[in-house]
Amino acid sequence: MSLPSTHLFIQTLILGILVGGVYALMASGLTLIFGVMKVINVAHGAFLILGAYLTYVLFQWIKLDPILSIVITMPLFFLFGWLLQRYVFSRIENPEQTSVLVTFALALILEGLLGAIFQTTARSVTPSYSTATLIIATYRIPVTRLAGFVVALVVLLILYYILQYTRLGRAVRATIQDPRAAQLVGVKVSMVSAFTFALGVATAAAGGSLLSMIYTFNPASQGDWVAKTLAIIVLGGMGSLPGALVAALILGVMEQLTAIVISLYWSPIVFYIFLFLTLIVRPQGLMGEVIREKG
Amino acid sequence: MPMLSASNVSKSFGGIKAVDSCSIAVERGSITGLIGPNGSGKTTLFNIITGFYTLDEGTVLLEEKPIHGLKPNRIYHRGIGRTFQITRLFWKMTVLENMIVPVKQLGLRTLMSQGVKNYEEEKAMELLEMVGLEKFRNEEARKLSFGQQKLVELAAVLMSDPAMILLDEPAGGVNPVMIEKMMDLVDDLNQKGTTFLLVEHNMRLVMELCQHIVVLDHGQKIAEGGPADIQNNPLVLEAYLGSTQNANATT
Amino acid sequence: MAKFFHSTPALVAVIFVVGIISPWIVPNQYYQHIIVMTLMAAVMASSWNIIGGYAGYTSLGHAAFFGLGGYLVAWTHNHYGWHPFVSVWFLSLIVVVVALIMGWIALRTQGSAFVVVTIAIVFIFRLLALNLSSITNGANGLTQPRPGWGGVPWSPELIKIPFLYFFLVLLCLTIFASWWIRNSKFGLGLIAIREDEGKAESVGIDTMMYKVLAFGVSAYFVAVAGGIYSYFFTYIDPTFIFDVFVSVTMVLMAILGGRGTLWGPVLGAFIMQPLSIWVVGAFGGSSIHLSVFGGILLLVMLFMPQGILPAVSESLNKRKQVQSPAKDAR
Repeated sequence: MSLPSTHLFIQTLILGILVGGVYALMASGLTLIFGVMKVINVAHGAFLILGAYLTYVLFQWIKLDPILSIVITMPLFFLFGWLLQRYVFSRIENPEQTSVLVTFALALILEGLLGAIFQTTARSVTPSYSTATLIIATYRIPVTRLAGFVVALVVLLILYYILQYTRLGRAVRATIQDPRAAQLVGVKVSMVSAFTFALGVATAAAGGSLLSMIYTFNPASQGDWVAKTLAIIVLGGMGSLPGALVAALILGVMEQLTAIVISLYWSPIVFYIFLFLTLIVRPQGLMGEVIREKG
Repeated sequence: MPMLSASNVSKSFGGIKAVDSCSIAVERGSITGLIGPNGSGKTTLFNIITGFYTLDEGTVLLEEKPIHGLKPNRIYHRGIGRTFQITRLFWKMTVLENMIVPVKQLGLRTLMSQGVKNYEEEKAMELLEMVGLEKFRNEEARKLSFGQQKLVELAAVLMSDPAMILLDEPAGGVNPVMIEKMMDLVDDLNQKGTTFLLVEHNMRLVMELCQHIVVLDHGQKIAEGGPADIQNNPLVLEAYLGSTQNANATT
Repeated sequence: MAKFFHSTPALVAVIFVVGIISPWIVPNQYYQHIIVMTLMAAVMASSWNIIGGYAGYTSLGHAAFFGLGGYLVAWTHNHYGWHPFVSVWFLSLIVVVVALIMGWIALRTQGSAFVVVTIAIVFIFRLLALNLSSITNGANGLTQPRPGWGGVPWSPELIKIPFLYFFLVLLCLTIFASWWIRNSKFGLGLIAIREDEGKAESVGIDTMMYKVLAFGVSAYFVAVAGGIYSYFFTYIDPTFIFDVFVSVTMVLMAILGGRGTLWGPVLGAFIMQPLSIWVVGAFGGSSIHLSVFGGILLLVMLFMPQGILPAVSESLNKRKQVQSPAKDAR
């Protein structure tokens, strides 16, 4: 264990923020789905990895740049999510109880299929700039990280725009705030649920595309990512998008710092520590609402 | 010194103040009514007293000791039982099982004890007989009629001999015969020493049963007194009429 | 006849006797292996059922306790020479303490958040096992000497039998504990928590304490199973044993048979474990068995979420009502 110099510290900070932006995109779908439907989509990690594999296939097949592939993967996943919610999940009787296991079953099915098709070899998408680094004011900034950060922010901004200014988006926000009140003013729950789930899965596609060029992945990675994105949304406050952004940045930075100061192999533990600490000290997270007490 | 006193209790949800600096006192041995138009904060106050909500401001004292901030199970141990506006039972359990779920106090020996103890069963049957439901002891709770379920809910609460019971709309959705039965029951228990605080919309029940009545409107106490005072209080009439006027305006 | 099936001691006795004589009925090692694994699965599913079935809190974290039991046994065996069949009983108590602590944190959440927090527990342990390599030997895992007694290894033809008997005894103990809990006030309280946690609080049940206790107890038998498992296979490593899939198999078995019932998890294990061994064998090293499990879980959750035993008893009850409608007249 060695304390970093100021330069290394700032370097790590920058890297942490860049990575945090991508984490925020990955977690956004999960927190949105929870905010509206009050369920944790345990298949979220599997969707991320599915997105990563799809990007990988597109890259191998037609050399499509992973960032550009978002244009294809997002609409595809949006449709997929919409259909899934509309025709499968909506038929579940007791969503609060059974949705966890149903989504977990889905995650297992996906992991198994991906493993059967792609084997468990670690994959990664390596566009031409995958090893390129920019040097800005003596700080080394990997191009993939920077590109990922920018793209993540763009997608998050689009998401924000949709939620703030479109009719459906406002309906989603109203439902998060107060589902009963929203229903009273005419919001259709089934429509909002389908739209939200679709949005959540679509952002997973984008997150997966970015993931594919920043990390290595295999089918089993889906479990890691579920745990990490859950840690982010718990810290940020479940259902809060701004919270997810803040939490993702914090965790991104903490993760990088731990990698430098302690060791790379210990860095994932940051997520779990924060998850548990949040649950002990402030269960509603940074920006979540105190869960309405039992009544 | 009142048995239960809530002082300057406030509770907000989001931007809405459900209970606004409300103070009520329940005298020992009384049947106190809590009335007011819909949305006046009655059930919120109930939930605060019984530990389901945490208050933002104020105190709730039972026998001069603070109970605000305690969890519902501790409050039950302190001697306050409650029923729910929408009856809550363990639907798939039998009536008898519902009766023996309540826990008076903690103890490892009690936890591990097997089956139903004789004294528990005796007491449960005694209470079931009091409400006339002893024949249903082995029926699943969900098979009973609505009114019968309400009686079971009350009987189960009585298992721990609470000193005070909060009834949340005991006459809600119940037929007149059952209402009479419940009023007799409450009166009977009250004669034997149980204090009652009840939220109710049925005015006849409130005026006949309650010795003291507190009126809430928009989260604040606007009046209190005996039945006669309340019936003739212009503020009370306005609160109810006002709410009817509003209801008429939006239809 | 029905009364026989309702008598827990009778059924346990039958299982015990059949188990004792099974090595003579089934001298084939491969089938003995399946029996050992099935008994172990039944132990794990029944143990999980205490928190997952009675209290209704779906934990996917029990793989952590399974693995921790395995590691404790393996380590003490290698360093102190403690024989697993003896040491596992009190080493698992350490795992219970860990579970109580984990539960105290995790049980602040409910529903789906709780499930994912328990998933995180498994990952934490995997991370610890991988990185604290001076103790755990990291990714290389821990190996134990060939099973035997007093320094003398058991002969290869008979090697499955001591494990078969061990898990047989463990299963009887687990079922007994589950039965004891179910009939106690504690168990009634857990079921009340499952049915309506808020109502349970309102009638005096300290739900947090009950849940944490149930979580801790449910970890015990799983830890014992894990300890002996590490001995049976003479090898464990972090990625293999701290795997959410281990938790999922327990959960699926309990749910398939009927979570919250006494015998449901046992039934589920007796069905699923031989099936899963077959599936893994049939599809070789491919991950497709994950999809098969996922598919079964999905089907069960969509079409028979209460499980086999409750579904069967429901349809039997319906038949009884049809046959004697007079009984319902009050």
